[in-house]
Amino acid sequence: MSSRAARRLLTTAGALAAATTVIAGCSSGGSPTEGSAGPVTITLAASTLGDPGRGPGLQALIDDFNADQDEVKVEPASVPYPTFGQTVLTQLGGGEGPDLIRFDMPEFEAAASAGLLEPLDERLDVDALDLLPGPDKYMTVDDHRYGVIFEAANYGLFYNADLIPNPPTTFDEFVQVATSTTSGDVYGLAFRQTQAEEAGVWQDIFNYVYGFGGEWSDGEKLTLNSPKVVAGLEAFQQLYDANVIPKGADAATFRKMFAQGKVGMELNNGGYATATVNANPDLNFDVVRIPFPVEKQGALLAPIVINGNSAHKDAAMTFINWLLEPEQQQQLQSVLGASSVATVTERSAESLAEAPYLAVLDELTETGVPQVVLGFGAETPDIRRIVVTEVLAALQGTQDMKTAMDKAQEQATALVGG
Amino acid sequence: MKTRARFGVTFRMLAVLVVLGVVAFPLYWMFVTALTGDEALFSGTPQFLPDLSRIGVFADALAQGDVLRWLLNSFIVATGTMVVAIAFGIPLAYALSRFSFAGKFLVALALFFTQMLPEALLVVPLFAIFRETGLLNSLLGLILADAAFVLPVVALILMGAFNGIPREVDEAARVDGARPAGVLFRILVPLITPAIAAGAVIAFFTAWNEYVFAVTFIYDKELQPASVGVAGYIGEQDTSIQTIMAVALIFTLPAVAFYLFAQKYVVAGMTAGAVKG
Repeated sequence: MSSRAARRLLTTAGALAAATTVIAGCSSGGSPTEGSAGPVTITLAASTLGDPGRGPGLQALIDDFNADQDEVKVEPASVPYPTFGQTVLTQLGGGEGPDLIRFDMPEFEAAASAGLLEPLDERLDVDALDLLPGPDKYMTVDDHRYGVIFEAANYGLFYNADLIPNPPTTFDEFVQVATSTTSGDVYGLAFRQTQAEEAGVWQDIFNYVYGFGGEWSDGEKLTLNSPKVVAGLEAFQQLYDANVIPKGADAATFRKMFAQGKVGMELNNGGYATATVNANPDLNFDVVRIPFPVEKQGALLAPIVINGNSAHKDAAMTFINWLLEPEQQQQLQSVLGASSVATVTERSAESLAEAPYLAVLDELTETGVPQVVLGFGAETPDIRRIVVTEVLAALQGTQDMKTAMDKAQEQATALVGG
Repeated sequence: MKTRARFGVTFRMLAVLVVLGVVAFPLYWMFVTALTGDEALFSGTPQFLPDLSRIGVFADALAQGDVLRWLLNSFIVATGTMVVAIAFGIPLAYALSRFSFAGKFLVALALFFTQMLPEALLVVPLFAIFRETGLLNSLLGLILADAAFVLPVVALILMGAFNGIPREVDEAARVDGARPAGVLFRILVPLITPAIAAGAVIAFFTAWNEYVFAVTFIYDKELQPASVGVAGYIGEQDTSIQTIMAVALIFTLPAVAFYLFAQKYVVAGMTAGAVKG
């Protein structure tokens, strides 16, 4: 290249650098601080906002709030679902982050234990609210309330009623139905089985562990390698080995397959109902209790919390109080689908007639267990990573499940101490 | 003899086609998937031809999202990263190549070792630094983070290029009265243009694809780059596969265009001076 051409290239680069620096230097201005004139703008981060089925409904609810008053303006913070937990925790740990967050339980416990959330003891008038006691009891960490339920969703067995006219009632039937339904491009069952979906794998194996009478801990000591935990995970492996699932397919893919009649059964929470109806309104599906030996299953509890770093805590509380009013709770429940909200909220006769499975899922609240390790809430994300890594190694055939859980027990115990 | 030559040409053509297929097929498959309905997507027989009646998915993707703004942000970040990395990489590589100083080997080794640190390890300390310096939630901060991450690679590439130029060239220029900066920018830089172009391409692509820094440091929707925007289409319970494929395809095109633009500099530099007259 001639030196003239090189000079031209360098000149172009220089001009680009100058232009880029000018443009890149522009960052968004902050909202007025509390007490200043004009509406206070606060941000709400919720992975629900990214759902094609439920996101628009939640956005409409936020728009209603913004239209209802002119003191506070809520804007959605865009945090993609795949890295939601770790992104928001990093931001909170760095003294930043959204004002309001809809967390999943493991991240909620971790953030609350680290003192990253605003205590709500003085801010929330619990006596004036008809809170659902079951899910609400998990909103307290170290004797302080840090959140209020945004969504509580129980796990059930979703099945395609055209492929499976008679849903299974025992584990053996469950295996048999999954096997007999699998044929050609149709699979009897689907669940997550890759490290990329660590949190999802945890949710899936949770139902097997508790459905076989296992528990991750006794509240004080980890019991990851107890016989019942291993039995539940061996049941999970039995289905993996039976080749009844689309191996390698992620949740986004196999849920679409379920909506298209290519998957017969899936264990999922109530929030999935709306997504399924949205993906295929004509799908003939129903929900029953998971047919495992013990009547216990995972419950997805998602609190809404206030960031301890927020400069707009009062404004954030204004939104929470508004959301807890009966009319908004009713609206939120219809947006979320077959999930419960913070307060006792009656479903309309119309919605129950349209979706009979709503009653089935609601009845499971009593036997639902939040997807944390009891007594080790703050350490749950780390324990989860260890357990999922070892379980997946067992699925790949590098070790048996007993060995996997012995190793998980050893690593996790070293992590939490004891 | 002729037969052998023809066979050689045919073989080469076949090899090129195979490589082209391997490279281009994922893009083609994204295009086909974007234009395939859910029912056909999961049927037993895969659909290899796009259903062009569904071409509106691209227009919908552009209309419903903030795709164009994401692309503009990505372009600003990628271009800025490229310029910063090259601007700092050239003098750094020149110093490592041409000057002797205490700890030179250690500096080169440290540069090499920085490449072994994953982004996830750097994101927390960088977050803290950026918070103190007011660089959070700004494209400038993202440019600096990306440039810092890619600078060692660029510097090592350029150092190799400088090492390939005999020192006699520098000496001749100095005899003619050139100062060190003149030697670098008027004599040596034109000679290593292909390496600069290669470094620029790497820096641009690194920043264009970067996700971890972007999703953590930027929380204003207006400033999100496309890598974060695309990930936003993945829902908790539901994901529109067609939309995500359409947007991902749109996301790849500017990067491909940039590579085609930069490629001529790489090739021109490689062939410059090949024929002496």
